[in-house]
Amino acid sequence: MKLALTVNGERREVDVPPNTSLLSLLRDDLGLTGTRYGCGRGQCGACYVLADAGVGAPGHGARAVASCLLTADQAARMEITTVEGLADGTKLHPVQQAFIDGDALQCGYCTSGMVISAVALLARDPRPDETSIRDALAGNLCRCGVYGRAIRAIRRVAESS
Amino acid sequence: MWDRREPERLEQRIRVDRDGTVTALSGKIDFGQGLRTAFAQIVADELDVPIERVNMVLGDTDQVPFDFGTFGSHSVAQEAPLLRKAAAFARRQLIDRASTKLGVSGEKLDTDAGAVVGRGKRVLYGELIDSEPLAGVIPDRVALMPETRRKYAGRPTPHVEARDIVTGQATFVADVRLPNMARGAMVRPPARGAKLRSMDDAAARKMPGVIALVRQGDVVGVVAERDEQARAAAAAVEADWHALPVEGPTAEVPMRSDPEVDERLHGAAMRLAQTYVLPPIANAPIGPSAAVADVRADGATMYVGTHRPFGVREQVAKTVGLPEKNVRVLPQITSGTYGRNSHADAAIEAAILSKGSGRPVLLQWTREEEFAWSPSRPEAVLEISAGLDADGHIVSWRYDEHTNVHTAAGLDPGVLGVTSGRNAVPPYAGFPSRVTLHIEPTRLRTANFRSLAAAENVFAIESFMDELAALSGQDPLAFRLRHIDDERFRRVVERVAEASGWTEHSGNRRGRGIACTVYHDTYVAQVAEVEVSLSGAVRLIKVWCVVDPGQTVNPEGVRNQIEGGIQQSASWTLKEELLHRDGRVMNTGWDTYPIATFRDAPESIEVFVEGDESAPPTGVGEPGAVPTAAAIANAVYAASGARLRSVPLTRERVRKAMPA
Repeated sequence: MKLALTVNGERREVDVPPNTSLLSLLRDDLGLTGTRYGCGRGQCGACYVLADAGVGAPGHGARAVASCLLTADQAARMEITTVEGLADGTKLHPVQQAFIDGDALQCGYCTSGMVISAVALLARDPRPDETSIRDALAGNLCRCGVYGRAIRAIRRVAESS
Repeated sequence: MWDRREPERLEQRIRVDRDGTVTALSGKIDFGQGLRTAFAQIVADELDVPIERVNMVLGDTDQVPFDFGTFGSHSVAQEAPLLRKAAAFARRQLIDRASTKLGVSGEKLDTDAGAVVGRGKRVLYGELIDSEPLAGVIPDRVALMPETRRKYAGRPTPHVEARDIVTGQATFVADVRLPNMARGAMVRPPARGAKLRSMDDAAARKMPGVIALVRQGDVVGVVAERDEQARAAAAAVEADWHALPVEGPTAEVPMRSDPEVDERLHGAAMRLAQTYVLPPIANAPIGPSAAVADVRADGATMYVGTHRPFGVREQVAKTVGLPEKNVRVLPQITSGTYGRNSHADAAIEAAILSKGSGRPVLLQWTREEEFAWSPSRPEAVLEISAGLDADGHIVSWRYDEHTNVHTAAGLDPGVLGVTSGRNAVPPYAGFPSRVTLHIEPTRLRTANFRSLAAAENVFAIESFMDELAALSGQDPLAFRLRHIDDERFRRVVERVAEASGWTEHSGNRRGRGIACTVYHDTYVAQVAEVEVSLSGAVRLIKVWCVVDPGQTVNPEGVRNQIEGGIQQSASWTLKEELLHRDGRVMNTGWDTYPIATFRDAPESIEVFVEGDESAPPTGVGEPGAVPTAAAIANAVYAASGARLRSVPLTRERVRKAMPA
């Protein structure tokens, strides 16, 4: 099945079997491996990407969505941004920088998804309180236990905006 | 077992390239515990180069010196002195070379940020590598950099790989992409150890993208062009299995046996006996097991996540029939696995699939496979009896640990005592004790998990210490201090009381609990504050922790590890229980095996890193997780009067245990 979709601001054309997940397309066809497989059921957040369905669509604005649950076909109707697409050249997104500065990671497997959720949150609510941060990232599981550091990192971004 | 036999050679440890890049080599593996960073700090300091120029190679079996494995929070303690010496020796050789080149006595030369300097001259390290690489046996004694000149060790340093991780550039095992790489999926039996009677793979072979159906013994899998294709074909294989129950081993190990334990217990003024129960739990990494294998006729290259690269090399070589020297194991950045990667399951399966298909193969387990087929932390039943004299001193202690085997390290009583029986002997002094480890069989596959049995034993011991204090009307803190004779231990306990304001009363359905331990010479004490609702729901509010890991290389790294250990352990304590029937795991997803989320994280985890700088560095990857369960259970008691002797501390259990 031939598809064209917009990922990280670029138009990309792929040929994938029907029902290929967006996650598989990103990782296996576009080489964007920063988005990670964790459960395949939208329960862990490791595969979150930003999806913007465009003006007029329900929930307009980039939302954090589980790329394992979207088919490539559905994604073709949205603008997709992955963790690789957040930085502006060599300048990191403030959330990325805050995660480094606050050492808000250990193994890093869940980090991409956390960063995506935080970026989506700050886009719709630039000054979230702690409860909003916890709610917005409740779908991002971390086993190493960096929740506290991630909350502090996101708060620092919010406070400096 | 962890001793090195051969003296180390510099060329196995440090390389300096002509462009001034420093490569340092270690067989230890970083799973997020920050070893790469701590090692880079040490090498940068001792060689006097900016840390950005240090490239750490961890675990590449073609390059690094042999290493038994990354376990038991030993890595910094074991490797730091070796790397430090190697780097210092390299610096001395560079000064010697500069001395010859400049015709200036070595004593008149010094180093500065990657160059040898002296007499107004400056020679970059790279310029000294024109002919021979740095080499030679590392002498026992090498002059080390004075502490005052260390720029990195002892200072907070973020993870060196952090930028790659936040930008998605870091290559985890499942991110490895090789030319012509195919994807694998396994056909799973109904139970572990099942024998394959027969199979019909005709339909699977015809499915889209399928390259090969591979069988080696009772291992069956599919190789296809795409991941979904491999999985679909694996599901279409009709296999007939003969399932035989696999039973774990049995053993009994006397760990300590002082005289007069029974007599003193019998004659005690007060006596208490209790039993504590912990269920099996899953390592539950966020990234399921993965491996990439490229097996060819003359050699194999393996991209894996492992605690034991040399162990994987041995197992893969045996599995595919190659000499060990022709197998190269390249450990990749991997999802934290907390012990699970002591077993090379995915690596062995990927190697079989690659050999059988003639293609490089990436195999990543599904979430369900990870829960169902990974080894788990065993269950534990801990029985304790103790007697107190009229003055409230412990006079006798009897402890029986019933659990399943925690490691594949064998049934040698000496090994079992320090693995499956870890921290069963209490850290308190002044009374005789008898401690016995009973290894009981289980059909669940069990193996290494963070701190091995220490988390279970310390839950029992520290809960029981609180119960003894309550029985004799003593403050839990004061009762512990009466039985501590180790000054470093006493200090962390006193400090955590001070830092948390132990004497303050929380009230309002809130309460605080204390717990402490000594884990592989790391001293750790914690106070937890919880709120218990009228219905029995426990919310963890705050945790204070004081840790003394001796000399500290990266205080920020230590804090991060300890915080993470506490957060993970709080999840074990409040939420987790792996259910199985005859070894078959029943909860195989995040919906049926929930772990702590952002909403469950406490308001704060305050970690005070107060290492005794005169003591050698000890580990911090595990100790933080060890006392947390008891600190929380003791806090639940303080808040609600409910004494919980079984974890997880579910709402139902807490409600039932609440006094009427």
